[in-house]
Amino acid sequence: MKKVLVILLLAVVGFYLADVFIGIGFGNDHFVKSDEIKPVKDIYLQQTVENLKVSNAVTSIVVNFRGFDTLGEVTVLFLSVTALGSILYRKRHHAGDRSVLFSASSIVTAGSKLLFPPILLLGAYVFIHGHLSPGGGFQGGVIIATGFLLMLLAYENYTVSHNALSIVESFAGITFAVIGLMGFMNGGTFLQNFLPVGTLNDLFSGGIIPIIYIAVGFKVAAELTGVIYTVLNEKGDQKNG
Amino acid sequence: MVGTPVLFIAIPLLAAFLIPLLGMIWKESVRIVPGLVLMYLMVLAVSLMGHVAHNGPIIEIIAGWAPPIGINLVFNAFTGFLVTLIIFMGLLVWLYSYRFKSNVEYEPARKYFILLMMLVTGSTGVVLTGDIFNLFVFIEITSISAYALTAFYTGRDSAEASFKYVMMGSLASTMLLIAIMLIYSQLGTLNMADVASKIHLMDPTLKAISFILFVVALGVEAEIFPLNGWAPDAYAEAPGPVGAAFAGIVVKAMLYALIRFTYTIFDLSGAFNLLIIIGLLTLVIAEVAAIRQDKLKRMLAYSSIGQMGLVMVAFGIGTREGVFAALFIMLNHAIIKPLLFFSGSYLVYHSKKKYISDIDGMGKLAPFTSLLFALGAFAIVGLPPFAGFWSKLSFLVAAADNDMVLIIALILAVSIVEIVYYMRVVNRIFFFKRTTGLLARRPTFNAYIVMSVLGIIVLMIGFFPDTVTGYIQAAADSLFDKTQYIHSVLTASIQ
Repeated sequence: MKKVLVILLLAVVGFYLADVFIGIGFGNDHFVKSDEIKPVKDIYLQQTVENLKVSNAVTSIVVNFRGFDTLGEVTVLFLSVTALGSILYRKRHHAGDRSVLFSASSIVTAGSKLLFPPILLLGAYVFIHGHLSPGGGFQGGVIIATGFLLMLLAYENYTVSHNALSIVESFAGITFAVIGLMGFMNGGTFLQNFLPVGTLNDLFSGGIIPIIYIAVGFKVAAELTGVIYTVLNEKGDQKNG
Repeated sequence: MVGTPVLFIAIPLLAAFLIPLLGMIWKESVRIVPGLVLMYLMVLAVSLMGHVAHNGPIIEIIAGWAPPIGINLVFNAFTGFLVTLIIFMGLLVWLYSYRFKSNVEYEPARKYFILLMMLVTGSTGVVLTGDIFNLFVFIEITSISAYALTAFYTGRDSAEASFKYVMMGSLASTMLLIAIMLIYSQLGTLNMADVASKIHLMDPTLKAISFILFVVALGVEAEIFPLNGWAPDAYAEAPGPVGAAFAGIVVKAMLYALIRFTYTIFDLSGAFNLLIIIGLLTLVIAEVAAIRQDKLKRMLAYSSIGQMGLVMVAFGIGTREGVFAALFIMLNHAIIKPLLFFSGSYLVYHSKKKYISDIDGMGKLAPFTSLLFALGAFAIVGLPPFAGFWSKLSFLVAAADNDMVLIIALILAVSIVEIVYYMRVVNRIFFFKRTTGLLARRPTFNAYIVMSVLGIIVLMIGFFPDTVTGYIQAAADSLFDKTQYIHSVLTASIQ
């Protein structure tokens, strides 16, 4: 009876939400209906090319116009990793090696070794070119972390230094915050661009955007690798179960 | 001026990233640095408050894009009042928990202090920001720190409490995001002032739906009935200082967000009545639940929820006096409830199950903590001449001005319930026979200082309410003046 009620309630809420969302008209060019409203997106698209010289508008919005949000999101990730570490702490302290059912075959190990450098390279490429092509710091960082995941799965005694991860993570975070504070130079504001923007479509363009995205790339890579490593070494109550 | 409002966010973030590095060199720094950061922020908050009183609100532009293009922070009499309160409480919680448990190892200690500092930073950000998506980001920062701090003892019960909190919190975040998306899809802007000035152009159905989503989402975080299922467990299972931080910091920030949406952003006429109704429901149900609790921290948690309901009713009155009363209750609650949590967690420190009956006769064994607990209990139920009396009085006056007789009767009836369950505990502490083998934990030196400071503030507000009413009045005026808020944000430019 209770379940039926819950399902009915969810159905009613779902119906109204769906009804609302169908009416909005996502995907149309201008779904903001009134003429009195000048959406900020027009300004974003115009300023991205004219003032910031960035060809990827998503990047310019994420790192420049709304860079403060990104600093917050980076912190959210940092906090999640800290939280995970704090919750799994006691167990990790007593945990020994990883529990492995059977070791990987030589095809897997050799293949992983072969794939590992290209994966890192691709990740680096994605975050370095974040302002030119699709992708950016978060995506590049995740790609790099998958490279480490591959190695950790293929080699049962592959280790990553927690201290090294922590140092990379901290330095990347500090870079982001310090660049933000450097925006105050010349009477500017927090996170304001203080470097020359260069020319459109150059690798060295967009002012502080590539620097921030490289820092984010390193940070995300280090944090996600740390998460994978912590969880893989989590033995839990296997002895009892 | 010693800085700008953005430093409230930037400096703690920088410190959070620095602490792991500093900890490698000098282990004690992980405890000290957050305190230094909070002390600096306290100085900053006080000096900015002085600046605001003379020169009007500070609108901080970020990334060089003036509103509505970029994100902005607003530091005016209202937000400044709450920021100062939040940082002050953060500082006290830090001081109190400095050596709360002597056997905490380096790793958990480092994480605890980073998370605590981010809890304060997130709450500060929620109050300061002038952008609805930025608000979402700060709510995320606050709630993730809160989840982790709830599970800090890594026991079975605390894991369950934290998991409940995570589930409800994630649902709330999703709804918040949907609501923000609805607004952005209709108005093409995320800036609070800009949204507020264009909200009349929005389709009424969509407006109502997004408002409901906001209320539900923020209601989960602000412990409003029936969305507060996580709260009693989280309060009871989290370490003592964390419970105090929830009551003194997190809930205040989340309630602020709810009030900002009702007062400034939306122009729905029924919103105030909605606040009164859910506020009354929260108040009555929480207080009735509190009287049935046999664990001290759960009782305090329900009492905290009840007080939040009272604040919502006061905001729902919708007059300047109502806002004044609401802010006064918020201030008192932010000071008294941590005092109760601090002293209470020392009273039940050695008790395994944390039952109220475990502290029978504690008054002789730990006179200082017991006395402060009693002071907090007297103050929160509103006995004269303690702090809570004035806030409850101002609330009743505000309600009486609007002929809300039924509400006054209900509040007074609930107050009796409140008195019963608080006096029951005080009675047990001082007049019951001591059970054999009762142990009292001596508070640390820092805890003595923190509890004394809070006790002195309670007495000070009680005897000289004029010291704070000026600030509260300014804050209430600032919240009420919607056009001035919109105008000052939308005309802001880089100095």
